[in-house]
Amino acid sequence: MGATASQLDTGKLSEYEELTFLTKQEILLAYDRFDKLVPKEEKNRIDYRVPMEDILELPELKFNPFKERICKVFSTSDKKDGSLDFDDFLDFLSAFSDSATLEIKSHYAFHIFDFDDDGTLDRQDLKKLINCLTGKADKTSLTPDEMRMLIDNILEESDIDQDGTVNLSEFQHVISRSPDFVSSFQIVL
Amino acid sequence: MTVRLRGLAMRRMSIFPHASPADVDLTEITIREEMENDEQNLVKELVGMSTLEQTRAIRELTMSFEEKRNIRNKVMAFRSVKKSHEFTWFAELSENVSLFFRRCSYTMRSARQALELWHGIMKEIGGKFGSSVLTYFMFLKWLLLFNIFSFVVNFSFITVPLLVYGPNITSNVSFRGLELLTGAGYFTHTVMYYGAYSNETLRHGVEYNLQLAYFFTIVVYMVLCGIALTFSMASSFKKNFVLVDPASTSAWQLLCSWDFSLTGEKTVTQRKNNLRVQLKESLSEKAQQKLLTLREKLKHSGIHLGSWLVSTALVAGCAASIFFLCQYEEKLFSQWGPGASSFSLQQEAETLLVPFVVSLMNLVIPLFFSLFNKLEHYSNNRSQIYIQVVRNVLLRMSILGVLCYHWMNKVSQRESSLCWESMVGQALYRLVIVDFLFLMLGSFFGEFLRNVIGTKLHRPLGPPEFDVARNVLDLIYAQTLAWIGLYFSPLLPSIQILKFFILFYLKKVSLTQNCQPPCRTGRAAQMQTIFIFLLFIPFYVGAISIVGYTAWSLNPSQNCGPFRGLDRSFSVVELWMAGLQTLPGSGWAVWIFENIIKSEIFYFLITLIILAITYVFYQLIQGRKMLIDLLKQRIVNEGKDKSFLLDKLQNLQKSGPKKDTKHGRVCYQTSSL
Repeated sequence: MGATASQLDTGKLSEYEELTFLTKQEILLAYDRFDKLVPKEEKNRIDYRVPMEDILELPELKFNPFKERICKVFSTSDKKDGSLDFDDFLDFLSAFSDSATLEIKSHYAFHIFDFDDDGTLDRQDLKKLINCLTGKADKTSLTPDEMRMLIDNILEESDIDQDGTVNLSEFQHVISRSPDFVSSFQIVL
Repeated sequence: MTVRLRGLAMRRMSIFPHASPADVDLTEITIREEMENDEQNLVKELVGMSTLEQTRAIRELTMSFEEKRNIRNKVMAFRSVKKSHEFTWFAELSENVSLFFRRCSYTMRSARQALELWHGIMKEIGGKFGSSVLTYFMFLKWLLLFNIFSFVVNFSFITVPLLVYGPNITSNVSFRGLELLTGAGYFTHTVMYYGAYSNETLRHGVEYNLQLAYFFTIVVYMVLCGIALTFSMASSFKKNFVLVDPASTSAWQLLCSWDFSLTGEKTVTQRKNNLRVQLKESLSEKAQQKLLTLREKLKHSGIHLGSWLVSTALVAGCAASIFFLCQYEEKLFSQWGPGASSFSLQQEAETLLVPFVVSLMNLVIPLFFSLFNKLEHYSNNRSQIYIQVVRNVLLRMSILGVLCYHWMNKVSQRESSLCWESMVGQALYRLVIVDFLFLMLGSFFGEFLRNVIGTKLHRPLGPPEFDVARNVLDLIYAQTLAWIGLYFSPLLPSIQILKFFILFYLKKVSLTQNCQPPCRTGRAAQMQTIFIFLLFIPFYVGAISIVGYTAWSLNPSQNCGPFRGLDRSFSVVELWMAGLQTLPGSGWAVWIFENIIKSEIFYFLITLIILAITYVFYQLIQGRKMLIDLLKQRIVNEGKDKSFLLDKLQNLQKSGPKKDTKHGRVCYQTSSL
């Protein structure tokens, strides 16, 4: 425990504390958990990127329907393969912490739901979102008709400028009317 | 500030969703230039702020960590350049002070997190059962903090001086086991109850008036509770009710409230299934807006009316039976003879009759209410829960009301050689203990047995769900008993602390072993507001009125307690004020007391002013609602403008490549408005 904590010197620690919404304990705990994912031979590299498959093994993410999207959104790697280095990992925890603001959470939620990364939620994105959240099960999954009606309802409610897609501001407007969002958009290590 | 700077690239891209590939290069260069410009503007803005605001602003930027670090370094570089030009020691001093405060706030945040009770257990519960069940446990923890505070305050200000001084209690009763249940017997003459406290002023170098201490400790604690409740109610109400459209159970809300903290595989699959069912339901509600025939409507209203009549009759019946039971107890008491300070075992056991019947009613009658609930037909789920909560509250309040009436009117008029406040304190102690026993029993029957029936005997029923509303109501009722009992038994919060502690672990075990995650997701935040509201309005206000009535109007007993010999408890303050008049320089305090606190005109004026302010705010809200509608209409119109201009752009692009670059640039400018 002492060895891992000392690898994060106090300068870096205070920088992390200032730039994220996490407290010192949360940062140290995150460092601990991240360190376990790094293989032994790479432990000395500062900016080692943990590949996506290893991140998805974390118990907090293992059964989350959005786990791949989360890795892709928070990853800053050039190869766009969803790998996270420690800075990205802290970014992810900061956005999902309980002191993050509504704007941050809704911004990242929008990008997580935007499956094709085009900056808006169109019908395809909404369809993938609904499938992600309702699971691919047997007889009781939604029929194409129901899917269409559901997407129509969603667009009717949230598409204010009526261009057929939901952009970031419209999404944030809908979210602001949903008081459960902030407390449910949380992951704690 | 950062509204126009947030999500710049994304906004740009969303304006050109259908841009053809030929224009992409031009678009990319333009975007990159604008982005660099905006970054420079951002840095300039950040430099202009104070350090505290700067840190907060950087933290709230929606960029990746690398970029935030870059911006921060740029801002720091800018600042050090600026500093070397204009050095003022005052600026540096204020810098250091704000840095110090920031470090302090970080350490306080970390410390608070380290001390947090039950953090691991709460996370486990939230992960497996979702946030609506978690609200019960968080509410329990919150109430526990109230009680810990109350116990600490009461113990240090009231009990410790008395113990130091040496209690002057004569008691010749030995300890029998039954005391733990009845609170009478050995406990009667201990510091547990009002009767043991003396009315003297300790002189030990410093004067300490025990009478005033007792009065003010209780009053200050109740006022602090009221303030804490008001603030949490107001903030919770603002967050969860004002902006939310209460009638919407829309698909979007359901989708956006996916609980990210769920970690169990089974829970996630179950939650997905429930969501699917709920989405289908919401679709079918919209698709077939069933128009009920007149006959059906009449039938539904008839059933509603009938069940309300029966519930009210049940409640009235319970209240009446408690009333007669109290009268019977009064008769028994007068039979045993007044002035009897020690009772036989059987007599003490008989005092347990009333609490037993009260708790039994609180356990059984709600079952009838949920039966009526099943028979009735509701338009939506929420009004179903609300009506059930209202009926339960009505039941408990009427039973408590009858008991308080009995205590205030009959018990306080008993023989003056007795200590009636201690009697009331003991009655409340018994209620608290028996309530605890019945809570445990309720958990056993409600959850354990129901689980056994659901999984082994009658499979389709399945394991039970954790009934958050009923459990929270039990907690609120228990806390009300503690609040009422505070005046008569200052150390009652210690029992309450033990009770809540044990209850937490009991409920946690029962939850994990017996219950399944809830079927209907969501509405956790609104339910929490309702609970705080319930805690405040009927129960807290009721408790404080009882204590206020006791202090203001009733005669304290003549032979025991800190207010013996006075006409009413409030006279303590009057005497103190009269004594203060002799002190020089305190004329203003006495003036305030005489003319403001004791006069009725003051309260009348305050009420009028508050009503006027409320009316003004209400009109403001109406005006804002109209503004919101107007703005929404404007956005729709802007959207139409945008699509018109985009169509025009695409038509122009189709008409020719050369002409286009010039027009294209012009058009980009206009549509980037």
